Amino acid sequence: MDRPLKRRLESRFGERLVGPVRQRHDETEIRIGPGDVPEVLRALHDEPDLRFLVLADVAGVDTGTTMEIVYQLWSDTTTDWLRVIAVGLPREDPRVPSITFLWKGAEWLEREAYDMFGIVFEGNRDLRRIFMPPDYKSYPLRKDFFLPDDASRSPGAGVRPMERPFSPSNATPAATVRRSKAG
Amino acid sequence: MTATRPGDRGAFDIPAHASTDDPRVTLEEQVGVYEAVPPFPPRTERESEFYTVRDGELLVNVGPHHPSTHGVMRVVMKINGEQVVDLDPVLGYLHRGVEKLCENADYHQTITQLDPLEYVSSLFCEWPAVMAYEKLLDVTVPRRAEYIRVLSGELNRISSHALAMGFHALDLGGLTPILYSFIERDEMVEMLAALTGQRMLFNFFRIGGVNGDLNHEFMSRLGDWMSRATQQVEANIGLLNENELFVRRNRGLGVIDSETALRLCWTGPNLRATGLPFDIRRAHPYSVYPELDFDIPTRREGDSLARYLLRIDEIKQSLRIIDQCLHQMPDGPVLATLPRLLRPRPGRAFAAVEGPRGEYAVYAMSDGTDQPFRLRIHDPSFLHLASFTHLVPGNLLADWMTINASLDPIMGGVDK
Repeated sequence: MDRPLKRRLESRFGERLVGPVRQRHDETEIRIGPGDVPEVLRALHDEPDLRFLVLADVAGVDTGTTMEIVYQLWSDTTTDWLRVIAVGLPREDPRVPSITFLWKGAEWLEREAYDMFGIVFEGNRDLRRIFMPPDYKSYPLRKDFFLPDDASRSPGAGVRPMERPFSPSNATPAATVRRSKAG
Repeated sequence: MTATRPGDRGAFDIPAHASTDDPRVTLEEQVGVYEAVPPFPPRTERESEFYTVRDGELLVNVGPHHPSTHGVMRVVMKINGEQVVDLDPVLGYLHRGVEKLCENADYHQTITQLDPLEYVSSLFCEWPAVMAYEKLLDVTVPRRAEYIRVLSGELNRISSHALAMGFHALDLGGLTPILYSFIERDEMVEMLAALTGQRMLFNFFRIGGVNGDLNHEFMSRLGDWMSRATQQVEANIGLLNENELFVRRNRGLGVIDSETALRLCWTGPNLRATGLPFDIRRAHPYSVYPELDFDIPTRREGDSLARYLLRIDEIKQSLRIIDQCLHQMPDGPVLATLPRLLRPRPGRAFAAVEGPRGEYAVYAMSDGTDQPFRLRIHDPSFLHLASFTHLVPGNLLADWMTINASLDPIMGGVDK
């Protein structure tokens, strides 16, 4: 855990951060609104005391209630991976500005997130499906897309919201489904 | 059928009296810019630009075929004569939805799902996943297990690079080197089969360690091979490095500078061939790599030849690492004691390792159940393939295959 990085991020992006800077193991995590993505990532990339030059990953996430975009960054100024999460994208119409102006390679990563989650990256000039066929309609990695042979995540179990408190009563979703069907 | 569309030249409306040597038939008409018919109406800026074909240009569909080991790849090429003007890789022919399958399997089962992603270097697909799960679970891996991971991983790296070298020549039309590199690779495949029980899809790493300790057959094979590995590598290098055809076809081809390579999100040997010593084993140390002494080879040229030569340098460094692993291997258990049913506390973890092609990473989210809530797999080949549109245009059609071979993408990882 890189404590000075936490202070640097807090002083630089203070009012833009959603929630606190979280640190665990060798990772630092900040959360921002989707509209702040270009400014924050540009600052992280360009400013000499941050210098996050390596974009390690771009991932879409469907938490069951909202969508998120997760950027993983590396810099030689810190020993941590920096995770920037754009939170609170509505599931009905998720939109976030593209970062292809900083990393051209993000073009395909964003295409993949669009293909799998339907997240629209505004400014990406090649936003079309990449793995699924062009006439495909669904977004396979969304949580309301169920695998046909998937017992534990069957439609009866409903959308599973992220970080729902764990208790023995919902320990085995499959059992819940069976009970609800029986009742 | 008569030509009704404005762009249609009506080239087949030949009058009945015209013979084949009628000059009007062979006369080139001035057509200017017209729209070629894409498979689907262009929906993005890039697609409409690509499918706008100018005079003298031709759209050629290459694939979907299986170019040597790279996997099923399809590229739509826009060519002018023999020069590639633009190209559009079409993915998805190997897409299996591994991320979705992993979200519906428990933590132990996902390791099996991850193996066939990069079938040439399977251990590096398992490694970031188990590292991410260990972070979620706060598990400490026994030191002997870490050494076995590094040892088997470096063996797998050598076998992957040996294959890449052979297939680089094969893609250029040289059939001999692949036979020699398969002699090497077969040795290592047999070794790893003795260690893990499988030749390609090892399923060897476990959450908190590895599946089994070093055994006698593996150690005796490894000892045999290590005694002659350096000479063997040198002998194989002589096959291609002194081949003038090979060198001249690769030198100065697909040149890229480190600034652009970073913008294209490159990692691994391809990035280091531009002169930037970015290696996750040193840049963000994991496992026992801080205890091991090895160099990060770099090259300045950034062309296809540099990418090829860098892989050879890496093989030599991997041999050094294996040697040190064998000398420093501590005693002890190889697997941490964990319950069979794993339910990590809700949280997020990201882990990345340096594989033979670059950064292999996994981003795992746990929601407290026995299945990952989200499992994101990051593969370096995907981004190297994405930069085709940057490297290939302007080169000859045959050079596309050379650049492809020097980037060494594996489509199994690209398509997930």
